[in-house]
Amino acid sequence: MTSALDALPVTQMPPDGHYGPAGKHGVTARIFDPPALATLAARHGAGAALSAAARVELGLDLADAPRLSRANGLTAIGTGPGRWFLLAEAPEDLPAHLAALAPHAAITEQTDAMVGFELSGPHVRDLLAKGVTVDLDPSVFPPGAAATSNVAHINTSFWREPGDERFVFLAGRSYAVAFARFLVASGAAFGLELVHRG
Amino acid sequence: MRIPCPYCGARDASEFAYLGDATLTRPDPAAPDAADAFHDYVYLRDNPAGAHSEWWYHSGGCRRWLKVTRDTTSHAIAGAELAGGAK
Ligand SMILES: [Zn+2]
Repeated sequence: MTSALDALPVTQMPPDGHYGPAGKHGVTARIFDPPALATLAARHGAGAALSAAARVELGLDLADAPRLSRANGLTAIGTGPGRWFLLAEAPEDLPAHLAALAPHAAITEQTDAMVGFELSGPHVRDLLAKGVTVDLDPSVFPPGAAATSNVAHINTSFWREPGDERFVFLAGRSYAVAFARFLVASGAAFGLELVHRG
Repeated sequence: MRIPCPYCGARDASEFAYLGDATLTRPDPAAPDAADAFHDYVYLRDNPAGAHSEWWYHSGGCRRWLKVTRDTTSHAIAGAELAGGAK
């Protein structure tokens, strides 16, 4: 079987465009650089103090669970007990913004470390069924649910956005091309639109 | 085989790394019989047919160690908890 990937070096990001049968629009994948990203890890025994500080200083209810919490332009994604990814909607000095949490948590700037993939469209779960081993049915993975898992042998953290059916995946930057190739290989059958944003 | 991670939920065993017996206690290296005790600790293992308490590391998920109770004859898992307890 031939595909658009056959002619591309495995190290090269697939170009923007339409993959699959003309006229089919099953999935849209937007590749983006998170404007600002940091990890937050509660210091030993400081979980309660950290969530209190996040509420008071940032207005953010940090759920200690694989879930999304969002307030005031900040999104927290639970990645493990007492650990989160924090994303900001606009470029900023995130560790400075989070400085009030520093007595209770280790804060590490990670903005360049991850690449984001925002997936939407009527066949998004059909594409993801080819690589995700987590059940994404809305009855068990509702809006705001998050997971860290291996997808096509690539470790990712992902969540379902509140609202319409939309998933966001974060993959390590050096795995971004491999993850994009997984999306093209698995999504072209449904018609995949690949676009770079920001 | 799926392992019910207390944080992540049920996940495929391929996301985990296996360490082994979770019932062993590291011997005191200062004890007079330390050499013999460490030989037993490192090399001698029970091989139970049935319930077994063992360490699994969730490398593909929450990056926490779990203590899992698994039936070695059926792979049925009776329970899993975070090593060191919840934070
Ligand atoms: Zn886990």
